[in-house]
Amino acid sequence: MKKILPITNAIIAVFSGVLVLLGYFFHGVFGGVQSILIGWAIILAAFALLLGILNLAIVHIRKVRLEGKKNIYSLVLLISLFLTMIIATISGPSGSWTLWIFNTFQVPIEISLLAVLAIVLLVAGARLLSRRPKWYTVLFLVTVLLVLLGSVPLFLIGEVTPLTALRSWLSQVPAVAGARGLLLGVALGTIATGLRILMGVDRPYGG
Amino acid sequence: MTDIICPLCGKPNPPDLDECLYCQAPLKTSGFIAPSEGQDEFVPPSFQPGDAGEVGDQERQPESITSLEQAIPDWLKQTEANFLEGSEVEPGEAAPDLVSEQIASLLNEPSIPDNAEKTVIDDDWLASLLSEAGVGEPAPDTPQEVPLDVETGAVDADKTVPPFDAEIEDEQYLPPDQIEKPEWLHPLEAASTIKQESEIPQIVPEGRVAPVEEPEESEGLAQPDIPDWVKMPDLQVKPPSVNEPEPLIVPAELPGWLEALRPTDAISPSEPVEDVSTAEIVTAGPLVGLRGVISAHPSAIRARKPPTYSIKLRVTDEQRSRVEMMEALLADEQKPKPLPSQPIISSRNIFRLIIAVVLILPIAWMIITGGQRTSNPQPGNIPGVVDFTQQIQLLPAGSPVLLAFDYEAGFSGEMNVAINTLVTQLMLKKVYMTLVATTPSGPALAENLIKQVNTSLNGSSGSYTNYTDLGYIPGGTIGLLGLATSPEVVLPYSIEGINVWTIAPLNTISSIGDFRAVIVMTNDPDTARVWIEQVGTLLQPESTPLLIITSSQAEPLIYPYYKAVPSQVQGLVAGLVGGLAYSRTVGSVQQNGLWDAFSIGITVSILILLIGSIIGVTVKMLASGKKMEN
Repeated sequence: MKKILPITNAIIAVFSGVLVLLGYFFHGVFGGVQSILIGWAIILAAFALLLGILNLAIVHIRKVRLEGKKNIYSLVLLISLFLTMIIATISGPSGSWTLWIFNTFQVPIEISLLAVLAIVLLVAGARLLSRRPKWYTVLFLVTVLLVLLGSVPLFLIGEVTPLTALRSWLSQVPAVAGARGLLLGVALGTIATGLRILMGVDRPYGG
Repeated sequence: MTDIICPLCGKPNPPDLDECLYCQAPLKTSGFIAPSEGQDEFVPPSFQPGDAGEVGDQERQPESITSLEQAIPDWLKQTEANFLEGSEVEPGEAAPDLVSEQIASLLNEPSIPDNAEKTVIDDDWLASLLSEAGVGEPAPDTPQEVPLDVETGAVDADKTVPPFDAEIEDEQYLPPDQIEKPEWLHPLEAASTIKQESEIPQIVPEGRVAPVEEPEESEGLAQPDIPDWVKMPDLQVKPPSVNEPEPLIVPAELPGWLEALRPTDAISPSEPVEDVSTAEIVTAGPLVGLRGVISAHPSAIRARKPPTYSIKLRVTDEQRSRVEMMEALLADEQKPKPLPSQPIISSRNIFRLIIAVVLILPIAWMIITGGQRTSNPQPGNIPGVVDFTQQIQLLPAGSPVLLAFDYEAGFSGEMNVAINTLVTQLMLKKVYMTLVATTPSGPALAENLIKQVNTSLNGSSGSYTNYTDLGYIPGGTIGLLGLATSPEVVLPYSIEGINVWTIAPLNTISSIGDFRAVIVMTNDPDTARVWIEQVGTLLQPESTPLLIITSSQAEPLIYPYYKAVPSQVQGLVAGLVGGLAYSRTVGSVQQNGLWDAFSIGITVSILILLIGSIIGVTVKMLASGKKMEN
């Protein structure tokens, strides 16, 4: 049984992958099977999300039991989790109480985090040269300043056209070139991983 | 002359003595009769094939009588003596039944349980004894064949004579009917007969007849005081004839206890004796004094409880202290180290606080005052905004449009400018909005925005119902692919639990290409790329536009899809600049000092970076100069 089960898993995985892949090339023939398999995968992903929430709750319940009042953040998380679930269940996903929780807590917290991030990045940039006076540090700092100068019209100065063009070139050519290079590397790695899984060499599902 | 061998010391004694000359042990009752002087010295019987034709018949009968006497155990001789003394039965008379029963009871060992198997063994022993008492009939346990022709060694079955019945018929010197046998001997006799029948028959040469002459020496050598019942087995055994080949002389099978009593000096060892001189002497138990044997002392076989060995590691104090030190080090590694307490008012904190105040105060001032000193961005200068606006304007009223709310709530301040404008335009055109999301917070964002825009358009009393929220699509990329191929299967119900695919206008939707437009709102370039790659390919054959509203950070990566020919993204609105440009395009300016705040915030940030960098470099140079001076 210990030998049969991994082989069965591999056969199922390879067979499913090949069918989904064939669905891209021969949608008329394999489109139906592809849709069914994708539907199953979506259901599994939804249950994985539920399992993740359950695991999160279990971990923090264990922390509260072991450490008690020392782990106040776990207690806050558990209270928030169960309270939100109760309210969302009663009020519904688009109910007024649910939206009130969303607008009152989640949106301001996320925005505040980004605002704090902006300030932290600014402080770090201001101290960058005093901490690490290297040539690439200077290059980084100059690039940041040029992009900021070309993004918006400066206050009381207005738009500086050369800076706007320079900003556009920097963001479209060097930045996108680097990002595309990374994406191409990721794509090649994904293709190799997919082929290994389709051939049964890699078995991330076990076996 | 026959000597009597002392059973105790094994030395020969004259026959007229009652006690041993050497050890004064009684000789009459248990002594062995030594061979006469005229005979050869007693040799233990052993099987020698060549002896069959060499031993004469005259020498054989006395030897058989002697072997009979030797085979009789002591206890049987003692019983015989007691019987002769007590009952005074004359020789030749039949023994009374009482005596027979007594002998029979003595023959049966009382300590052995009475069972059939043991009885057979006793019968075998007695049968062999009786057979040995005859003419030297072989009685070993293992069958031995006597070769007729020693030179050739061939054995002819036709030349063999039936062993017992035929011999009895041929016996003329002492008919069986003239002998009175005790009753107890009949079953023994029968057993002996059976035993002899099963053994190897005596081989008689062809053409020869077994003689019936009884040798005279056998009577002369026999003990005069031996009763007839002891002689009876002789009558059943055929005496060897002169012409008959010499039967084999087989070794007597003596009981173990009798073998142990045999004098050792009369037997020459035939096998090499193991030298046990260096072996240990048993000092205790029933085998005390013996050498080279396993001691049977109870202490040697006594079951003892196995010794228990402590598993506790014996360490010295120094080793223990080192182990404790190691344990303490490992325990400290596992414990989270508390952050060093820093003073609340420090130069670093003051620097951070100053930067925050410098950044926040002008932004807040601009929002509060609603300043509009900075010129608004022109839609023509922002790529993608015009195309986006045109695609929205082309949407017919009531047509189904798919809106994907895939941005995080933290980016709502940047993106809501464009999204508010978009939703407002769609509501004004009464487009049927189908809301989906690939992020868990997407449905709430969508609902919140729809209600907010609806409130701003229609007031708190009115409500816009020309939309449906299908909720969250799990699975990421797979979910999007499923939505693109069969949206009805992936999201069959709205978050209110209504099967909207049976209601117009979604009842005409079978694939994602049937929507009039797909508008994706995301701050993540990867999410936008997945939409373009997985969904956009299915939209192109249907000429369904894919429009994207994104943040400034994702704009550089999405922009190539818009600039591609043919373009994979038909309209693009990026960041606050794009949102304001789009708002200005549709005539819905909702600046409220936002653009000035954004402009002054960027300007202050640039100044902080410049000033901070200059100060940092100056301080660094001064510090390095001091080091150089020192």
